[in-house]
Amino acid sequence: MSAMLDLTLKIWRQDGPKTRGAFKTYHLKGISTEMSFLEMLDILNEQLIQLGEEPVAFDHDCREGICGMCSLMINGQAHGPETKTTTCQLHMRRFHNHDTIVIEPWRARAFPVIRDLVVDRTAFDRIQAVGGFVSINVGNAPDGNSVPVPKVNADKALDAAVCIGCGACVAACKNASATLFVGAKVSQFALLPQGQAERVQRVQKMVAQMDKEGFGSCTNTSECEAACPAGISVEMISRMNLEFLKATVVGAT
Amino acid sequence: MNWVRQTLLRNWLVRAISTTIGQKLVMGATGLLLCGFLVAHLAGNLLIFQGTEHYNRYAKMLHENELLPVAEAGLLVLFVLHILLSFTTASANTAARPIGYYGKHSKLSGGTFVHAHNYMFLTGVLVLGFTLLHLSDMRFAHLNLRLKYDSTLDPAAHALHVLHDPISAPVYLLGSLVLGFHVSHGFQSAFKSLGLNHPKYTPFLSKLSILFGIAIGLGFASMPFWYYFAGH
Repeated sequence: MSAMLDLTLKIWRQDGPKTRGAFKTYHLKGISTEMSFLEMLDILNEQLIQLGEEPVAFDHDCREGICGMCSLMINGQAHGPETKTTTCQLHMRRFHNHDTIVIEPWRARAFPVIRDLVVDRTAFDRIQAVGGFVSINVGNAPDGNSVPVPKVNADKALDAAVCIGCGACVAACKNASATLFVGAKVSQFALLPQGQAERVQRVQKMVAQMDKEGFGSCTNTSECEAACPAGISVEMISRMNLEFLKATVVGAT
Repeated sequence: MNWVRQTLLRNWLVRAISTTIGQKLVMGATGLLLCGFLVAHLAGNLLIFQGTEHYNRYAKMLHENELLPVAEAGLLVLFVLHILLSFTTASANTAARPIGYYGKHSKLSGGTFVHAHNYMFLTGVLVLGFTLLHLSDMRFAHLNLRLKYDSTLDPAAHALHVLHDPISAPVYLLGSLVLGFHVSHGFQSAFKSLGLNHPKYTPFLSKLSILFGIAIGLGFASMPFWYYFAGH
């Protein structure tokens, strides 16, 4: 049986990147516990449109936890109170009647607010573009068995590759550090034979771009791992550190 | 000044160390070496409980060692690097989030527990203050006007004189506990910064780090506690 919730929402409203934002309070009645969090925001927006007000802008796409578009800091937690869950997978049954829910955008210098709860995460794209790929001139696909990959490495590479690039790691980190994201992207190639040719330059270029974007450094608090909807381990950060150390020692001048 | 920066950045080592990852690698390495110093320092200091003659014999052996100035210079380099980088990384980290959250809640288990990792800069600054007082009391005691240095005292007698000082003793007690809190995160974090994190040994290192912090904190605090607060 679904119950109905009456909620108070404190939502960050900001007209544009250059304007000052502020929290605005909204009251919503009759929200079903079966609804997803984003459906609850849809209901709010429909009511706002009917009132002639500007709806709340928020990012979303697949609404099934794989695209990495949704974000939202919900009551001070990236993607809300659940673990290994994106905002779109969060349901209203996680909340109680008469709760006040504070909704904020990701906060980081490298993720400037575009509007309301939408932030610009193209910093991640630029980091990917400098090294998050393998350059291979392919003809026919090689026989699968001709490129041996140890099972352990294949598993670990996949553990890294499940990163959806949502930015929750940056949002949850006290230093707004992107090391979990970059660590995952570096690891997924460093562990596989296909990634070896560009291994040294990759970590150097991606770290340089990460710094250029203005992300903070890692204090090893593991807040990123706890907030990650894909369950990426902080081991990825250490692997990147080791890759960087090796690249510094053996790489070109 | 920009051309100086550009010229320096042409060097591969400067370039590597100036990245956030490079800075943390140096922080980790210097921090771990300083942990080694803490162990040696504590072991030497605790000799005072065994008797002043043991303490004096150790002090004499240490001071007569010709390599002591080299060790002191090395220690100074470790401290300066660790402190300098803590300021550069802390200021960059503050700049990385110009607008803070309305309220932020950890998703880590034991959320209400006071995590040392949230106070590394603060505890580091407190330890720095304590260390400066400690240096003025011990290493540069002959320049210290407050303590009324007596050059006829042997090392143990001087240490006991400092440990009975109403300013130094409480600062030493609190400073030691803060230091223990700082290294309880720092010790295991250094391994991670240096790229060593593996399910085989990281859980062990995390537990060892807490034990290390307790041992360092209580070990150093035991001296001001025993001589000043317990009145021996």
